[in-house]
Amino acid sequence: MDFTPVWNARWLLLDSFLTTLLLSTIAVVVGTLVGAIVAVLRTLNVGILNVVLRAYVELFRGTPLLMQLFFVYFGLPMLGVNVDKFWAAFSAISLYTGAYVAEVFRAGVEAVPRGQVEASTALGLTFVQRLTYVIAPQALRVALPPLVGVYVSVIKDTSLATVIGYNELMRRAMELVLQYGRPLEIFLVVGILYFIICFPISKFSEWLERRLARNGA
Amino acid sequence: MFLDWGSITTFYGQLLKGAGLTLVITGLAFAIAIAVGLLVCAGRISRVAPVRWASTVYVEVMRNTPVLLQIFIIFYGLPSLGLRFSAVTAGVLGLGLNVGAYLAEIFRAGVIAVPKGHREAATALALSKVQTLIWVVIPVSLRAVFPALSNMFLATLLGSSLLSVIAVPELTGETNEISSRTFLTIEVYSFSTLIYLALTLSCSIGLALLARWLFPRASRS
Repeated sequence: MDFTPVWNARWLLLDSFLTTLLLSTIAVVVGTLVGAIVAVLRTLNVGILNVVLRAYVELFRGTPLLMQLFFVYFGLPMLGVNVDKFWAAFSAISLYTGAYVAEVFRAGVEAVPRGQVEASTALGLTFVQRLTYVIAPQALRVALPPLVGVYVSVIKDTSLATVIGYNELMRRAMELVLQYGRPLEIFLVVGILYFIICFPISKFSEWLERRLARNGA
Repeated sequence: MFLDWGSITTFYGQLLKGAGLTLVITGLAFAIAIAVGLLVCAGRISRVAPVRWASTVYVEVMRNTPVLLQIFIIFYGLPSLGLRFSAVTAGVLGLGLNVGAYLAEIFRAGVIAVPKGHREAATALALSKVQTLIWVVIPVSLRAVFPALSNMFLATLLGSSLLSVIAVPELTGETNEISSRTFLTIEVYSFSTLIYLALTLSCSIGLALLARWLFPRASRS
């Protein structure tokens, strides 16, 4: 074991680590927005819209993220849409995340007893009022722990952006390996970097789950 | 924009071969994952503290680092310690070890899901520890965790696409190869997307049928 190449490249690694964090954050924010919009639109129960939204969710959950990345990065230019590496990585990962988040929110919405929705309709609440005062507070409670779990997956999944050459942490690691050798040392250190960001978030998700389970019912 | 859907018929054979390898990889990786999951689950509920700690560390490390990195460590990292694997072996091993960590947690939840009264009843009926495990704990917990196991199987299927990164010619790998050779990018990626959808759909239907057959009463209630 010789960690000098890793130590010499510490600033490069840190720089790519920040890139990974940035990509993850943007994908989490946009993915959550997309997922929330899809989930809310699905509660409207409009036939054709439901079919489209379901197709979106099934398509992105039923195929590998890797294929989606390739499709966006290599496929779209063939249709005349030019995407750079960041946009390809960002849009594919966000849409992928959105599909998973939509399902998490849907499970949350379904956990709200039907009678409450009917009662609030009977009380003359508008759709928006029903959503903000009745459905959302209870649905979020159910959805929060798995939602944070999805976020951990997003951080790990940004590592796939390396296949289209986006310069995040994994890509930098591979470049360093090509340059200096020492794959074991470099990948171990990179693993630690992923771990120190993912582990606390995983624990937070578990804590939320315990806490909400205790206060619930 | 001239899409040439006709030309991809030439590659049906190659893509189906890739899809076949995808299924084989998924099956092997999931088999490894079940073995690892049972072992680590046993470790997590063991009475020996160091075994418990080691299993916990395993689960946390595998679940909180990217699976692609784990595959890279096995494929590129371990040779420097004298352990050399072919790309397929390294990929199957990496995927299996990763999914195993998730399965360990699922199994643990299943064991916890067995009501204490069941175990006490088994003891009262003079069942041995092994008998209790086979006739009481496993049937009850398997039923509780079956949906989670099915999800992990589908995740393994999708995860097998990562093996294309270390040049395993499974479905994603073959798709990339055809795309870069012919520039029928949109056509071939669309077609492979359909194959993946068909695979995930038929696997989830198959697993649902299996659940129905395994737990006849569960489906009626």
